[in-house]
Amino acid sequence: MSTFAHIVSVEARTRLSYRGAFWFNAAFGFMSDFGVVFFVWTAMFAESGHAEIGGRTLSATINYYLLVALLGRMVRGDRFEGQISADIYEGGLNRYLVFPYSYFRFKYAQRLGQMAPEFLKSVVFGVLAISFVSFESAAFTVGSVIMGLGAVFVANLVFFLIMTIVHQVAFWADNVWSLDVAVWFVASLLGGWMLPLSVFSEPVRAWLEVLPFRFLYDFPVRVLMGEIGAVEWARGIVVVAVWCIALALVSRWVWRRGQRRYTGVGI
Amino acid sequence: MRYLRLYAYFLRFSFSRAMEFRLDFFFRIGMDALWYVVHLVFFTVLFRHTNVLGSWNFDQMLVFAATLFLVDSLQMTILSNNRWMFPILVNRGDLDYYLVRPVSPLFFVSLREFAANSFLNLLMAFGILVWALMRYPEPIGWGRIVVYAPLVACGVTLFYVFSMLAVIPVFWLHSRDGLRQVFWSLNRFGQRPDGIYKGWIRRILVTMIPMALTASYPVRVLFDQNPLHIALHVVAVTVVSFAVLLMVWRRGLRAYSSASS
Repeated sequence: MSTFAHIVSVEARTRLSYRGAFWFNAAFGFMSDFGVVFFVWTAMFAESGHAEIGGRTLSATINYYLLVALLGRMVRGDRFEGQISADIYEGGLNRYLVFPYSYFRFKYAQRLGQMAPEFLKSVVFGVLAISFVSFESAAFTVGSVIMGLGAVFVANLVFFLIMTIVHQVAFWADNVWSLDVAVWFVASLLGGWMLPLSVFSEPVRAWLEVLPFRFLYDFPVRVLMGEIGAVEWARGIVVVAVWCIALALVSRWVWRRGQRRYTGVGI
Repeated sequence: MRYLRLYAYFLRFSFSRAMEFRLDFFFRIGMDALWYVVHLVFFTVLFRHTNVLGSWNFDQMLVFAATLFLVDSLQMTILSNNRWMFPILVNRGDLDYYLVRPVSPLFFVSLREFAANSFLNLLMAFGILVWALMRYPEPIGWGRIVVYAPLVACGVTLFYVFSMLAVIPVFWLHSRDGLRQVFWSLNRFGQRPDGIYKGWIRRILVTMIPMALTASYPVRVLFDQNPLHIALHVVAVTVVSFAVLLMVWRRGLRAYSSASS
């Protein structure tokens, strides 16, 4: 087994070891994520009298949020636990610097391992959701599912790269938790977690098109729902690949600058 | 009086500690300010598509959002750091130091750390509330505002009670953070106007798990026909919830086994 696959496997088994708390938190998290938006949008459609909002019916909007709740966990996980900032604060980065293995490849393997239980949750809750909610507004096909999973994979990578940069601020700041949460607020609003991007005004949507956040939730969900065809999907993947390269370059630049400040003794 | 003097010491200690980590001081202010912006944008975008949500118009929704920010900033300033530390105290056995002191351990554990950086957000949230009330097109009346203010305090108390009830299970579970994730999940219901909830979910949210009372009900006092009925309901639920907290806290202390926890 390669080192990368071994790290993924170890991390996944660690995550699944606390089964009771794992399923309890997961069930409450999923029910509240979905429950709140269900009531908000049911009220929105009832009180506005519109048949469609942002180009979607109530049923399609509910489907959108259900998929955001399911796929979003595979993008973000419960929270970012790369521990990059902790390694910097505690001086734990020392051992990685002498390992004959890339630090960020190691951290990415850990992250993929953390995603394994999220994938399991999404499958279980997805099966339950199919039993209770009508997906008549979503045009699932084998193609849309394959393209959707590909979009989720790159969304996960984008999120990892963004958070990698944020956590490296720990080279300069004493605590980056607030910054981590602040970036999550921005990503949740501009990425399609809180609101489908189609409900924003046209000029705002034009701005959102050029930012990487829409690839986190809006893009994968729309692909899976069959709202995005193969050509537009391929174009989106190229754009997100460019964003990944740009974010990786920024991350490398920050890493090099940060290492010059790193003392290795912790705080 | 002794407790007030003790709290003044907590404040002095917290401000001096907060200034040690200056960059984090500003990050936290920025984080909460961003949370306010995100919610204001959220409600503004929703009201592009409707005139009413949960029986409130946009002007009323701004007052609700401002109340939500005020309750959140109060709990972030007074309670959040303490709630964060509580499971660590229990699991490491450091709660011993609180139990041997001649003051209420619950008071000490809940209020020792004052988040000085969030205090600036409290001022910001209060400013947004004043702005939202000033721009409200109809007169609200001082009588309603006098009832509203203590209900916000009740909202913060309810937030405190249920967030503590979520972390106190560490006495038995010995887990990293008890049921904190469950609390944050439930809290999301309180971040939206109570008028959108229907049926048994609504009944639960205004009684057993009263997240709708933290911000929505104080705002209802400003706009509804029968503010006294609402006020009595909030006060009654707060008193009962606090009594439940005290009971669970005492049981938790009995289960506490010091450093071996």
